[in-house]
Amino acid sequence: MEASDALLVARLAAGDDHALAEVYDACAASVYAVALRVVREVSAAQDVVQEVFVQLWTGPERYDAAAAPLRTYLMVLARSRALDAVRADARRAARQERHHRLSADAPPPPPDDEVAAREAARLVREAVRALPDDQRRLVELAYFQGNSYREAAAALGVPEGTAKSRLRAALASLERLLDHTLLESS
Amino acid sequence: MSAPTGPTALPEGLRARVLERSLGRRPAGRATPEPPEITPVEALGRAARSMTTLLGELTEDQWRRTALRGLDVQGLVGHLIGVESDLQRVLAGDAHPSILDHIGSTQPAAEGQAGRPGRATQDAWTEAVTESIRALAAADPQARITLHGARLSVSELCIARTFELWTHENDIRGALGLAATQPDASTLTLMTRLATDLLVRVVSRSGIAGQDRPLTLRLVLTGPGGGTWQLTSGEPAAAPASAFTTTAVGIVADAVQFCRLVANRTTPAALEAHVTGDPGAAEAVLRMATTLALD
Repeated sequence: MEASDALLVARLAAGDDHALAEVYDACAASVYAVALRVVREVSAAQDVVQEVFVQLWTGPERYDAAAAPLRTYLMVLARSRALDAVRADARRAARQERHHRLSADAPPPPPDDEVAAREAARLVREAVRALPDDQRRLVELAYFQGNSYREAAAALGVPEGTAKSRLRAALASLERLLDHTLLESS
Repeated sequence: MSAPTGPTALPEGLRARVLERSLGRRPAGRATPEPPEITPVEALGRAARSMTTLLGELTEDQWRRTALRGLDVQGLVGHLIGVESDLQRVLAGDAHPSILDHIGSTQPAAEGQAGRPGRATQDAWTEAVTESIRALAAADPQARITLHGARLSVSELCIARTFELWTHENDIRGALGLAATQPDASTLTLMTRLATDLLVRVVSRSGIAGQDRPLTLRLVLTGPGGGTWQLTSGEPAAAPASAFTTTAVGIVADAVQFCRLVANRTTPAALEAHVTGDPGAAEAVLRMATTLALD
């Protein structure tokens, strides 16, 4: 633990805006670098930096000085926020793609969006393939074939509770796998 | 914390946008998380209940332990009985000159407890403080009255008396070898606000030793009940810190320890304050804080 970090965060909690400026001056470059590596776009990276410092200022008590240096905490926060932004973009792109497929006279999506959506779909397919068989089958039934988890449980002959917990485990694994993949590719 | 080295240049204007957006979500000066707001009368009631609980646990032997200024615990509680009596006289409009003296006017009540059972002294004080709180709750919170030479609003007086009860409770605890207590965050918030208000009045009236120009001081009190204040010598009121004003002196201290300082129960040297800027001016301000004598 850095004593100065604990003091800075105590000052933030006391409403000392000078402390916020000090933390920004010391950590913003690292936070911005992490954000930019993940989102790969200057404007989106700036949004991430803003979110990170607003979160620190409005909830400094969430930082535990015993757990990690303040800079590390902010970088982890930046990575998490940046991945959220990437996922949101991917979801938006997927929605747009679905919408365009359903609307015959709709103009084709911009090439960048199409590439992003295809890339997101590829990453998701790869991640699903890496799941254990019992989880992969459930994800395919529930998410690719449009079944409810009850219908998926019946199709596989497992109790609903088991299907539910397997799906939860599968989604957690997918999140981890996708985070890892996105970071590697960034 | 030192800035890292690296090739990533921050976009121009990002700093200003980040700071502006942050302060738009939470203004500077106010502590987070904010404790529930309570009235000054409620704060005084809580301090009285805490003292009552302690006194109810004392043995006769403990009532005889020396506590403060040559008074034993019983004499100190007798002093409080005298304070309650003075307060009730002032609230009733009796401004006798003897009420100006905090120690002298209460000494007969302090000495008058000798030889009584501790329980009798406790009952007398509990009855008196209950009556004081009832009278304060009925008074106009903004009405200004003078007690023991200090002219304060009724609300300020409630908080000053909260300081007094908390401080004397810990005087007794110290005499008995018991751990000190600290006020809850809601009470402490009122105490730190009063302390900073009074401090700025003293700084405004007297100036700061060794300073021939107005001086801007940022006082940051950390922990529950804390906050950030901007004090400028020569200006009549403390204000919550406004965004990014420059300051000549910065003092960061624990809120409870700062309250002990203004109650004259610790020294500037023992405060372990983190000071930036002119250390001489900071020490002068902290010395002035001890003269508030909120005990």
